[in-house]
This record gives sequence, C-alpha cells and structure tokens, in this order.
Amino acid sequence: MQFLSALAFTFAATVALPAASQSLPRFGAPEKHVEAELIAATDAIVPGQPLKLGLRLKHEHEWHTYWQVPGDSGLPTQIKWQLPAGFSAGAIDWPHPKRLPVGPLMNFGYEGETLLLTTVQVPANLVVGTPVTLTAKASWLECKDVCIPGDAQVKLTLPVQAQAAPSSSTALFNASQARVPQGTLAATASIDADRIRVALSPPAGKTLDKVEFFPLEEGRIEPAAPQVLKSEGGQFAIYLTAAKPTGADFKSLKGVVVANGGPGTANGWASVVQTTLAAGAAGTATAPGASAGASTSSMSLLTALGTALLGGLILNLMPCVFPVLSLKLIGLAQHRTHSGPMAAHGLAFAVGVVLSFVLLAALLIGLQQAGSALGWGFQLQTPWVVAALTVLFFGIGLNLLGVFEFTMATGVANLKAADALAHKSDWRGSFGTGVLAVIVASPCTAPFMGAALGYAITQPAFIALSVFAALGVGMAAPYVLLTLFPKLLEKLPRPGRWMELFKQFMAFPMFATCVWLLWVLAQQVDAGGVALALGVLVAVGFTLWALGQSQRGARFFRWVAAVGGVLAALTFAPIAVSEALAPGTRTTADAGWTEYSVEKLAQLRGEGKAVFVDFTAAWCVTCQVNKRVALRAESVKSRFAADNVVLMRADWTNRDERITQALAQFGRNGVPLYVLYDRTGEAAVLPELLTEGIVLAALDKLKEKSKLN
Amino acid sequence: MLTGLLASSLTAGVLAQPTPGQSAPKFRATDVAGKQVSLADFNGKYVVLEWNNPGCPFVQKHYDSGNMQSLQKRFGAENVAWLSINSTADDNSDYMAPAKLAAWFKQHNAAPTAVLMDTKGEVGRAFGAKVTPHMYVIDPNGTLVYAGAIDDKRSTNVADVKTASNYVVAALTDVKAGKPVSKASNQAYGCTIKYSGM
Repeated sequence: MQFLSALAFTFAATVALPAASQSLPRFGAPEKHVEAELIAATDAIVPGQPLKLGLRLKHEHEWHTYWQVPGDSGLPTQIKWQLPAGFSAGAIDWPHPKRLPVGPLMNFGYEGETLLLTTVQVPANLVVGTPVTLTAKASWLECKDVCIPGDAQVKLTLPVQAQAAPSSSTALFNASQARVPQGTLAATASIDADRIRVALSPPAGKTLDKVEFFPLEEGRIEPAAPQVLKSEGGQFAIYLTAAKPTGADFKSLKGVVVANGGPGTANGWASVVQTTLAAGAAGTATAPGASAGASTSSMSLLTALGTALLGGLILNLMPCVFPVLSLKLIGLAQHRTHSGPMAAHGLAFAVGVVLSFVLLAALLIGLQQAGSALGWGFQLQTPWVVAALTVLFFGIGLNLLGVFEFTMATGVANLKAADALAHKSDWRGSFGTGVLAVIVASPCTAPFMGAALGYAITQPAFIALSVFAALGVGMAAPYVLLTLFPKLLEKLPRPGRWMELFKQFMAFPMFATCVWLLWVLAQQVDAGGVALALGVLVAVGFTLWALGQSQRGARFFRWVAAVGGVLAALTFAPIAVSEALAPGTRTTADAGWTEYSVEKLAQLRGEGKAVFVDFTAAWCVTCQVNKRVALRAESVKSRFAADNVVLMRADWTNRDERITQALAQFGRNGVPLYVLYDRTGEAAVLPELLTEGIVLAALDKLKEKSKLN
Repeated sequence: MLTGLLASSLTAGVLAQPTPGQSAPKFRATDVAGKQVSLADFNGKYVVLEWNNPGCPFVQKHYDSGNMQSLQKRFGAENVAWLSINSTADDNSDYMAPAKLAAWFKQHNAAPTAVLMDTKGEVGRAFGAKVTPHMYVIDPNGTLVYAGAIDDKRSTNVADVKTASNYVVAALTDVKAGKPVSKASNQAYGCTIKYSGM
C-alpha cells in the first residue's frame, strides 16, 4: 500500500515537474507535512483561572519542526495570539527537543507528535454561558531533506463555565508538560579553548547515566559536536565544544540538560542549567583519568569497544599496516615447517599489538593531561609535524621501492630494530611485528578511529586503555586466526617474485599518503612553505638514493649520502625552527620591542604616545614573513624611531588569555594582527600581509594626524 | 609525532570552520557554464561567497524580495566579486543541474560574478558552510573577514528583508573603510545544506 502510494506520488511528480519547474523549483511545495491544531487541557474556560492551551503539531513520518533554539539551521515555531480583550498569553513552554542529525550538522526539534504549551490568563469578569473563541497564527518551518515554511490559523471555541473538567487531551498535556524542563539545576562551568566543562549533580533521588545538552542561546556551543558525560569526584561533568569563533561575550552558559532519554522514559528527567562560564581550566583540577569512578557517555562503553574492535580489523587493510603484515605472513609461510607452534606466534603478535596500543593510549593520556594545561592543538597541529610525517612516508615509500634497505644504521635505528626483530622467525619476531605494525599504523588510525579516540580521550584512564586494547585485539585477530588454523595459511600463494612486486607496489599508497599530508600542509602554510617541504623530499630522496648506492657497495656514495643528509636537514630547518621555538626562547628578540601588557598599553595611550602592537606567534608563518619583510626593514625601523612610536610585541606562541581577549576586541581570534594607536589613542588596524610601504604609509597618516591635532 | 595526528582527529566529526582573521581556504570549482573558477582568480579583490539553494525558503525570501540581486549588483559595481555556490548533492531533490540553476539565476535577474557547482560539497565543507544562505566575505589578501548570516532577521518572511540589518553590507562597509569588522561572525540562519554522502 505504501509502495503503491509512493509510486503514485513519483508518477504524479514526474508529470507535474515540467509544468512546475519554470516558477517553482520544488514540486509539491503547497503540500503540508505538518498538521497544526489548537487544543485545551480542560473542556471549558473558567473566569479568572489560567487556561492551559497547546499547539499540537503532528509531523508526517521523517518530517520535523524546530525547538526554540533550532541548532545549525531551521527556525523556531512561532505562535501569534489573537485573543479577546482581557485575555493574555504567556510564552511557549517548550518540551525538550530531540537531536536531529543532518549529515555533519545537527538540529534540535520535534518529530512525530508534539504539543507546544502556553498558559493563557483569563479575565475574572468573563460572563459564564457565552462561548469564547481563541485564535492564533502558528508559523513554523517543516523539514525533511527539504524545508517548507508552514503556517496555520488555529482556532478553539470553548464554553465559559464556573467549573471545568479535564478534556480528552489531558493525557497528552500531562505527557508534554512532563517534558518541559523542570527547575534550575545548580552547576558550574568553565571553558578552556573550545572545551566547555559543565559540572553538576543530578537532582535528589535522580541518576545521570546519559545526557544531552541543548543550548538555550544560539552560536555558543557547536550543535553537532559529541557531548561527553563523565563521573568526576562524586560529581558529573558534561564536556561540550564551543562554537568557533568563541565570542568574547561568552560569559555564561544556559541550556537544558536532558538526562537518561528525558522524562517519559524510566529515570528520565530534564532541567535548566544556567551558570557563569569561568575562563581557563578551572574545573579540570580533577584530571581526567584520575577518577576511577563509574563513567558513562552518550556513546556507551560497549559500542565504543565494538567500534574499536571493528576499527582494529579494518586497520589490517590500511596501507601502513598491510605490507608489514603480509611480509610477516609470508615469512611465516616460508618457515611454517620449522618455527615452532604457530599459535605461539599468533599469541606473541597479539600481545605485541595490544601492549603497543595500551602504551600509545598511556602516552596520549599523558599528553592530554599535559596538553590541557598548555592548550593543545597549538602544539600538535603544527606544520612541521605534518612535514615530518610526509618525509617519513616518502622514505618508507622509497624503501618499499627498493631504493635503499633498512640494514645500516640509518638514523632510524628504532624502526630498524623493530624491522629486524620482525624478520626474526621466533616468537620475539612475532612480538616485534606486532609492535611495528602498531607504530606504523598510527597515522592511519587517526582518520578512521576519530570517534573511538574522541571517546577514549575524554574517559577515565582505564576505559581509554580498554578501548585501545580492543583496537589492538581487532587488529591482531586475523593474524591469530591464521596461526590457529594454519590450514588457511596454506591457501596463501607461494612466495616468489610477486612478493617483491607487491612490496614495490605498496610504495604507491605511501606516496598517496604524502600527497594527502602535503595537502594538509598547504592548508597551514603558504606556497613557499609547501615548496620548502617538497624541497626536503627531493633532498631526502637524494640522500636515500645515495645511501642505497653505498649499501650496494659504492663506498663513495656514503659521502654523497652524508652531504645529502646535511642538505635535507638544512632545508627542513626553516620549517622546524619557525615552528618549534621553545617557550623559553621566545623572548622578544628584536631590540627596541617591549613585551605587550594591557596595563602598559593603557598607560602609554594615556600618555599620548603612539604605539604599534605586533600580535604574533612563532608558529604563524605569515607573522614571520611580515617580520622579515616589513618590520625589520631599515626604513621601517628608522621611521619607528624617528616618529617616537613605542613598539610592543604580543607573543601568542603559547596561549595567553589576555592576548586572546585583546584579539577578540578587534574581532579576531588569530594572528597576525597589527594595530597602530595614534597619539589620541585611536586604533588603526593594518592588513595582515605587511610590506614596507604599508607600514610607512600608516606612519605617514599618523604624522598628518598629529599635525592636525 | 604520530600522536600529533591522533590528537588532531579528536576534533573530527564537526565541520571544519575557518574563523574570521584566518586565511580563507583556497578552492577551485566549476561554474554553471562549465568554466573553472578559483578563489585565486580574485586576488586583490573583495570576494563575497553566498551559499545558494533555490529550493530553500530562506534563499527564496532573499531572491523573491530582490534583496540578493540588489546586493550582487551594488557590490558588483564596487568591483567586489560575488560567488554564489550551490553545494546541494545531486541525489537530493533540491539539486538543480548547472543549466537549470543558471536559468533560475537568469530568471531572477541575479548578477553574481559566477554561480559555482559544488555538488560534492568540498568548498562548502572547507568553509564549514552550514546553511543556505551562509555568507562569507574575504578581503583582498585572502583573509576571511566575515562569516555568518545574511542579516539579523531569522525568517522566511519576505517582508522582514526591509527592516533587517544586513551583516554583509556592514562587514564590507567596515573593511572597506579600513576598520575591523564590528561583527565578524555570527550564527547563520537558513536551511541545512544538503551535502553529499549523508
């Protein structure tokens, strides 16, 4: 039946399309997918007593309308009342919404049937016996994968009586009323970069196993970001992600907390949370991982473990892992007659994999804890890391192509050791293969395991560790299976020249990875930076080629390789140095520059001094270029001196809340930013790409202005 | 080093979003006439990006009122490049083939510099565009200076256009006067962009 009607609709649409397409891009636009009706909780109006009304919205399957804060898109439903004299309607009491994901975006709204509640004040002098008609115009946006504005004139006529009985819709009213958040829950909140932590305790007698947070203010939290619930020191913490850019006026957080699926489900409840938002990691004193309490999240532990297991299995197919494993399997196939029991190999491999993953998790947790203090992302999303990874994959690719072998001390001693270990045919070899597989797999884990990682990182240590262990178990599983059932191993093709060809072929996924990494790099640095990275690849390629020649007995090439290595290092240095300036060495190196401080700036402006402020950071390539091209130019330096401009440098290399705030004042949340204050204290913002000319022109203007004054 | 990548993946799952002050993602796309258009073509010019989907009532509001067209013409005369970008996936019922989309723009007497097809949603995702119409302003240096709504009246009601305060106009006026944009970003309103692969 449904199929038939769908067919009929498709047919009708096809026929109607050519006619409608001229003026209406969407056929069927007039069609309504939401029905609206005005209903009352009681069967009559009682003079002087508040009347409960509800706008009942019935949504067609898969269609939705929006909550008061609609999320990434949409429009809240509106009710405009046209009431008789003496009546007045309050605001809508919104039942809590549902999270409605749309691809990468998130909406907050209603599906199925919902009742938007309103309390209407009834005049006391109303005459009993004369029916009253209440009217409202409701308008909404109804969406499925397309959106259509909908509206309806809704009407309800009720008798006026001295007493009223519950109407036939009482049950619906009660259910909807229950879904309206009850009361305000005490909570505290803090924000560190884009990470918001809301600490709260459930109301007395209630539990908190699963949570959804719906913001009551727009543009504050990222609607689609995962929300994580943790148990920390007897309290619960909800971790949210702030919308970017974070507004400087984001000083308080207001939202609805829906717990355990919300009222209407067992243990469900919903409450309003309103609290000031403290800056900094104030709330993270109880470090994640330190608490051993029970913890839950919107992604259940079981799901996370399952996902991790699956992810581990998939990892075997990754270009970073596949070659290592196949080589090992081939080795095993070769030695299958004389290398002891197969199962021992499998077990050793599994232990190697799982241990490495657990170790990696421990490292990540450590980094996270260090990172939350430093403000990470800054340190970890640096271009030189990406450049170094590109070099690594390029090198692996060349190795697979046979340009050189990992047989000498090549500077990648660890990899070599693991590699050598992997080629051993006893159980230690299998363990080593496990370790190597994990190390090599790490870059591949990132894009594929984002969710499980995101989950693990916000969890107490032991949960994070088990998720990573599951990842390892998944990755080791096929190998263990093969060793447990060696018969399967016999199905593997005989060793031969194809192995060498296959190994060489695997170089290309490596190079493809390089392309991807360079693409990432291109988002972070300018064309010059990418060219520099490519230059490093040429130098590394040259070095490895020379190394390969020397490995084949051409001793002279050892020297060539050494020269190439120096060359590669020299090319890499500009990337590394500009990015990796240690916090300790980031002092304002240029003479004549003073360190930025809010007080000092205010004082100087008060004294009528002209001030130039350079908001910069070591990891900001544009800033370095500007410094070299414009700010350090002799002409500029001498003009600064001649015009008595005080030079201030605000170094944002490490997170500095006061600099962040200063940037926000100019509507920025990134560097570079160049501000020239004239002698009246007025600020002029210079472009982000400076030239000598631009700075000098700005100084000219400054001079003219001071003449006028 | 490897953990660097692991860590960066933690923010995955949410659309990447360059914020005002950062340089705008570089992109290249094909326009409705089949011509390759790249952001770099407009180096040295202010560029306005308008996310478009004729099937969206919020977009219809600004075209039926003539608002979007008049902005395109006004800024076109001031040498501002205006790129209307459609990121609707081709399996969505809102999708319009290039010729049809071109006809729609023509029929509405619109005057963007180019109408770009972003069927795979790559440009949209690079900018973190969420809705139609999501608006962006890029300065001649390629820096994003505005990202957000077209104006302050979140509705599909044509009458609201007259009384609304237009953020794109405000942003362009600010930057052209050499001032920082007073409201460099805000939450855009509109219909969800129908990205591919959903």
